[in-house]
Amino acid sequence: MDIILGIKVEDGTIIATSKAATRGISVLKDSDDKTRALNARNLIAYTGESGDTVQFAEFIQANIQLYSMRENDIELSPKATASFVRNQLATSLRSRKPYQVNVLIAGYDTKTDTASLNWIDYLGTQVELPYGAHGYAAFYANSLLDKHYRKNMKIEEGLGLLKLCLKELETRMPIDFKGVYVKVVDKDGIRSIEGY
Amino acid sequence: MNSIASQFTNNNNNIIRNEINSVTHEFAQQNSLNLVPSITLPPISQPTDFLRAHTDDETNPDCKIKIAHGTTTLAFRYQGGIIVAVDSRATAGNWIASQTVNKVIRINPFLLGTMAGGAADCQYWETWLGTQCRLHELREKERISVAAASKILGNLVYQYKGMGLSMGTMVCGYTKKEGPTIYYVDSDGTRLKGDLFCVGSGQTFAYGVLDSEYKWELTDEEALYLGKRSILAATHRDAYSGGSINLYHVTEKGWIYHGNHNVGDIFWDIKEQEKSFNNVDG
Amino acid sequence: MRTTVASEYSAEVHHVPIEHRFNPYSDNGGTVLGIAGEDFAVLAGDTRQVEGYSIHTRYQPKVFDVGDDIIMTANGFAADGVALIDRFRNQLKWYKFDHGGKKLNIKSAARYIQHLLYGKRFFPYYVHTIIAGLDEDGKGAVYSYDPVGSYEREQCRAGGAAASLIMPFLDNQVNFKNQYEPGTDGKKKKDLRYLKLEEVLELVRDAFSSATERHIYVGDGLELLIVTKEGVRTEYYPLKRD
Repeated sequence: MDIILGIKVEDGTIIATSKAATRGISVLKDSDDKTRALNARNLIAYTGESGDTVQFAEFIQANIQLYSMRENDIELSPKATASFVRNQLATSLRSRKPYQVNVLIAGYDTKTDTASLNWIDYLGTQVELPYGAHGYAAFYANSLLDKHYRKNMKIEEGLGLLKLCLKELETRMPIDFKGVYVKVVDKDGIRSIEGY
Repeated sequence: MNSIASQFTNNNNNIIRNEINSVTHEFAQQNSLNLVPSITLPPISQPTDFLRAHTDDETNPDCKIKIAHGTTTLAFRYQGGIIVAVDSRATAGNWIASQTVNKVIRINPFLLGTMAGGAADCQYWETWLGTQCRLHELREKERISVAAASKILGNLVYQYKGMGLSMGTMVCGYTKKEGPTIYYVDSDGTRLKGDLFCVGSGQTFAYGVLDSEYKWELTDEEALYLGKRSILAATHRDAYSGGSINLYHVTEKGWIYHGNHNVGDIFWDIKEQEKSFNNVDG
Repeated sequence: MRTTVASEYSAEVHHVPIEHRFNPYSDNGGTVLGIAGEDFAVLAGDTRQVEGYSIHTRYQPKVFDVGDDIIMTANGFAADGVALIDRFRNQLKWYKFDHGGKKLNIKSAARYIQHLLYGKRFFPYYVHTIIAGLDEDGKGAVYSYDPVGSYEREQCRAGGAAASLIMPFLDNQVNFKNQYEPGTDGKKKKDLRYLKLEEVLELVRDAFSSATERHIYVGDGLELLIVTKEGVRTEYYPLKRD
């Protein structure tokens, strides 16, 4: 029942992930960060099978960073990052024990000055979207965003829209997800937004 | 697909040769320190299903091999360090296999590991973790961090994911760099840092008492009592927990053992003292 | 019910179904019991071996002197028990060759057996293992294991078919569980003390004759191995043969 939500706006991409780490009927932790920074302007948010999630995200993180070290500090673009992650998941799907991990990748391409949000599931389905979510959150958030999302919104407006989504999730989700961590990826890099 | 593939794979094809190799290997090998343990698998294509059929009494009640399960363990951080408290009961189905199990594994004088789930899995891999920590010390001339130690264990169990290992453990310790630290590591590969964890079949009952009385400012005496009292609550409500309570306090000087407290003995004292357990007469 | 994932090609020749019937285990009954005293330890087992309702033999020893004043039994599936004990004996022999006949103390033997058992974690030995001997201070020691190698040193332990009949009796008579001083209204527990060898032998014989009365897998004979500083000796007592 983890919540991961992403909204792309004109000058950046916003990611929200729930803080609860749940095992069975106990919330083991209410400050769990379900994101990893891949490089300066690429952030991965993950949900899925416990154990697989962190192992996969850290594997991707290590490989993306290794790429930059080898290639003279060139950072992989959001598009390339997403393709790499998709390829890893698709390969894994055809192995004996596939990673059961769904991810969102928020990125900002400095070459074209565009923000992006990539939605990838464990089957290797990849799409570039204006907004997206995994799990139950998608059932509530998608329709809401279909109605309220506009193309030329700025980060501030995006955060306002996120507030709307979270309010809906808080009223309708059957299980307390202990709030969310919110992060923004834009031309200045990755930063956390406090107060959620 | 799997069975076709295996027919055309070269290694492990000759059963007789493998048999001979394994026998001569065991009987004639020099006694060297084998640091990577090798574990026998049944000679079939899905070892995990085999194991489940023979050991999982949830899906197969009359399975022959009963593996010990059921526990309550807790650890929490506070102003004065870490408190670790555990029960001591081991069960195999409805049979109480032991009331005197040691569920805190002393990895080294600064690190403790708790044991919930499969008794052998925890005992074996946490002692193994002890050797890995010692090797780290010898190589790096420095004590291992709790983060690194817990990650060694976490990565190990992740390698075995889906094979049927069952463990829920807390790696507790103190280092200069980190201060008092607790990591929760379980057999599906989860590894979480935190201030307060309860693990096992009685975890909810322990959480109930611990959460209601816990605060960072607890004194050592209060904290030790709260740890003990939370396990007592769990042994009272969870049939799979019981026996006695083992208490530990982790400080910058390492862990200190605070004794074994028999549930049968302390229950009535605590009931009278606290005027609690009013569901029980007498 | 487990659902099936249609991941394999339907045209494939399936070799898999036979594996569902792959059952390499059996239960050969019998029961064993170990008690540690101050300067001795005993390990006893009945000598009946069964499978289902058939009695295969009335005399098949299952407690062995494995060397270095360590006695060992692995009760449950007889073939696994024999395999485990043979493996341990062999490794002990090699240990002596490699280390100039050095004696293996029971603490190390105990840890080694954990590795033998855990080495087959995913294809376990279906046995309840107990070893007994004297520790470095000459005190009696009993170590008991679950099938995959979790172990503990104890004062006494019953294993096998009638473990659930014997263990509560042992708790009461060896560790004096639920015994109180007369006249203290259940306030003062009976003090723990080491039992004498004669008392222990009496307990073991009572335990086995009682288990024989109430369990079909127990009977025929009782073979007892005793470790003292003089070494290992064996005693045999007949049990009811019905």
